[in-house]
Amino acid sequence: MSSSAPLLDIQNLQTHFGTIDGVVRAVEGVSFSINAGETVAVVGESGCGKSVTAMSILRLIATPPGKIAGKILFKGTNLLELSEPEMQAIRGNDISMIFQEPMTSLNPVLTVGRQIGETVMLHEGLSAKDAEQRAIEMLTLVGIPAPARRVREYPHQLSGGMRQRVMIAMALACSPQLLVADEPTTALDVTIQAQILELMRDLKTRVGAAIMLITHDLGVVAEMAQRVVVMYAGRKVEEGSVEEIFLNPLHPYTRGLMGSMPKLGSSLHETGRSKLTEIQGQVPSLRKPIIGCAFAGRCPNVTDVCRQMAPAIEEKAPKHLVACHYAPRAAAAA
Amino acid sequence: MSTTTLPPDGFTPAPKLADVLPPRKERSKLGMFAYRHPTIAVGGFMVSLFVLMAIFAPLLWTVDPTALAPARRTRPPSELYWFGTDMLGRDVYSRVIYGARISLIVGFGVAICAASIGLFIGLISGFIRAVDAVVMRIMDGMMSIPSILLAIAMMALTRASVENVIIAITIADVPRVSRLVRGVVLTLREQPYVEAAIAAGTRTPMIIIKHILPNTLAPVIVQATFLCASAMIAEATLSFIGAGTPPIIPSWGNIMAEGRALWQVKPYIVFFPAVFLSITVLSVNLLGDGLRDALDPRMAKRI
Amino acid sequence: MFAYTVRRVIATIPVMGIVALFVFSLLYIAPGDPAAIIAGDQATPEDVERIRASLGLDRPFIVRFLEWLFRVLQGDLGVSIFTNLPVSHMIKQRLEPTFSLMLLTLTFALSCAIPMGVVAAWKHGTWIDRFVMLFAVLGFSVPVFVVGYVLAYTFALQLDWFPVQGYTPLSNGIGGWVSNLTLPAVALGSAFIALIARITRATMLEVLNQDYVRTAKAKGVGQRAILFVHALKNAAVPIITIVGIGFAGLIGGAVVTESVFAIPGVGRLVVDAILRRDYPVIQGVVLMFSFTYVIVNLIVDLLYTVFDPRIRY
Repeated sequence: MSSSAPLLDIQNLQTHFGTIDGVVRAVEGVSFSINAGETVAVVGESGCGKSVTAMSILRLIATPPGKIAGKILFKGTNLLELSEPEMQAIRGNDISMIFQEPMTSLNPVLTVGRQIGETVMLHEGLSAKDAEQRAIEMLTLVGIPAPARRVREYPHQLSGGMRQRVMIAMALACSPQLLVADEPTTALDVTIQAQILELMRDLKTRVGAAIMLITHDLGVVAEMAQRVVVMYAGRKVEEGSVEEIFLNPLHPYTRGLMGSMPKLGSSLHETGRSKLTEIQGQVPSLRKPIIGCAFAGRCPNVTDVCRQMAPAIEEKAPKHLVACHYAPRAAAAA
Repeated sequence: MSTTTLPPDGFTPAPKLADVLPPRKERSKLGMFAYRHPTIAVGGFMVSLFVLMAIFAPLLWTVDPTALAPARRTRPPSELYWFGTDMLGRDVYSRVIYGARISLIVGFGVAICAASIGLFIGLISGFIRAVDAVVMRIMDGMMSIPSILLAIAMMALTRASVENVIIAITIADVPRVSRLVRGVVLTLREQPYVEAAIAAGTRTPMIIIKHILPNTLAPVIVQATFLCASAMIAEATLSFIGAGTPPIIPSWGNIMAEGRALWQVKPYIVFFPAVFLSITVLSVNLLGDGLRDALDPRMAKRI
Repeated sequence: MFAYTVRRVIATIPVMGIVALFVFSLLYIAPGDPAAIIAGDQATPEDVERIRASLGLDRPFIVRFLEWLFRVLQGDLGVSIFTNLPVSHMIKQRLEPTFSLMLLTLTFALSCAIPMGVVAAWKHGTWIDRFVMLFAVLGFSVPVFVVGYVLAYTFALQLDWFPVQGYTPLSNGIGGWVSNLTLPAVALGSAFIALIARITRATMLEVLNQDYVRTAKAKGVGQRAILFVHALKNAAVPIITIVGIGFAGLIGGAVVTESVFAIPGVGRLVVDAILRRDYPVIQGVVLMFSFTYVIVNLIVDLLYTVFDPRIRY
């Protein structure tokens, strides 16, 4: 596999929505890339634009009221320039997506088999009979017992964990190169969460797909991802390898995130971290253009410079990008 | 900590990004209201216009709408008779302007009567289980009789008069309001603050007045607006088929009923009241749509 | 499924009973003396007494009601005051035009309204949507008989595409039947289309915002399949519910439409009966139409199970 060009390369993505109260800048100038077979986690609070970023990649944003600008290069092709039919051929085939809510993400009036089979009928031109066969295979793959019976059932006859397995089966039915998973385990019980993550890791090695994993659960990040993108108020504020982000977070927001995560036994060596810290203040409104650094209102180290000038995102340590004026530059990068 | 000190190489600003969408237009308060609720603005304005027209009918260059003049029968519209004259020589323009009174009286009358009776029945049956079982069965039965037919049957048994038309249409409409109110009451009963009030021993009438009634008003007002519109159509329909307002009274339905025999040769007799009726009903419906969107977003989603 | 059907069928029996009771008690609820009103202003006291006796108003309510109900159950709706013919017989003779009109209207209205509502929801906020909504408000606001006259004047009198009035039985060939019923069906359908298009749009808007529609789109399903397979099937239950409820308006509208287009149907029968104060006929028609309405809504209830696999109780 060529290592030079990334599988997905997002450049300066802007996704805005025109509403009756003004323009909402949900995603503002986000760039990052995902290599083939890699798992990249996108983390941030709810409302930080991570889901909108994911939806923008597949162009699932309704336009209008939305509008997507920038470049989304998938294997060198800008997805934003494709026609709707060309885009349909990519969705579910080259790039597929798993959603947060397994309870509502499946169509209640269509059978499970129909919903899985539809993908392969669309993209691989299989007959209805073969599609059902594939659906049974996929259900077996994701570990659903009695798949031949389950394909004829409706979503309301399945448990939440089963439905998320069905969602995964659906997403992987055409062996996509990129799987966008939007909080795939958030709505599930902890025990089921672990099973689903295990399943995703297992299938990733088998299918060889790259994963863009959206989550606010740092535990999931540590378990699954190689690289992390931290988003705040529609912007990317930090990016780096999992080790860098966890051991050497440079942006005050990322530090806050780490601080708000409970750690077992952390009080033993670091008294200051013994309590679960929360980040003070509120996320700025996305309805108005933000002047200066988006995090300025909540940053413990804020200065006048931050309030007036938005920081550029810079490589302050090797392969570690931060958008903060005061992030220290590592000796090697300087 | 090192983070609070300035880095040696100064600051790099983030590149400026162009706006993707045009900014929102600035609007005045009134302009914003009209922009958000265009139907309330347009409908409300037109309804007030028709109400003023009905009130000031005598001042609007009208003549006696019942004055017969056999010598000038079925004249087409002209400078003298703006909407022409009917087969008895009466001035159609004057009849149409005065006809607004009947339509509006029936519309508002039915809306007010049906809304208050329905509100009363709905509140009671939403709160008292025993009453609910009986009343709602009766309402189901009544709603199974198409309302125009119910009104026809009642009109066939009474003397034609504006009051009886209002009563007949109201009786057909009451079940719908009652059901609506009952539904709202049943959901409100489950609300924690109402349950708390019940648990605290607040007396039922007090709970109804303080907690339930205010919350039912918005949907009832919206419903009443639509009832007003449908009652105006019902009145015209009843009059049109001869089961409505007494023929002597110039209502829009009556004018059309009288023009019916001649519609192929003198279509204007039917045309003018039809246009007035349709525009009035349209205005009330627009107002209702707007009110529903503004007052009752839950219902706005459903229809 | 079977249990559900049986339960629904049984549930209609008390409703029909209450309908019958209510229709019957109108004679007693009505203010004034119904016998005198039915007899008319020129009637002699003997006439009034004769009508009072024929209506059974001289006997106790409950006795009279049970007698009447028993006869209704046997298909006997009484005798017309004007023609002295059995009411059930008079209605039966006129069923074909009325049901033809309703059937044609229903077919026409649904095949217009549902695509209109779907497209309006899909193109939400565009001029197509506004046009559909405008049409919907207009359909509610213009009385059926006005639409009827406008259509008759334009397409029958001026353009001469259709006959102005009348009815050709189906047995005389489908061509005449259709050409006679086209304008009435369009007129009668206007309000119905407005109603169904509106509810379709509203329900579709809600459904199109559901997560599973996003899932379908993310799978690469095309727009048409999303609208008409994934979304419309989910919107079906509210839509057919409104079709059932709106059927009452269709019945009421048919009465008026038949008058405008001189169609010799049940509606025309009731309008003629009003002018003659022939109450037994009015009562019979009201009862017949109400029962039809109850049965239509029973069918709607049973159709729920076809569209939504979750309804199985």
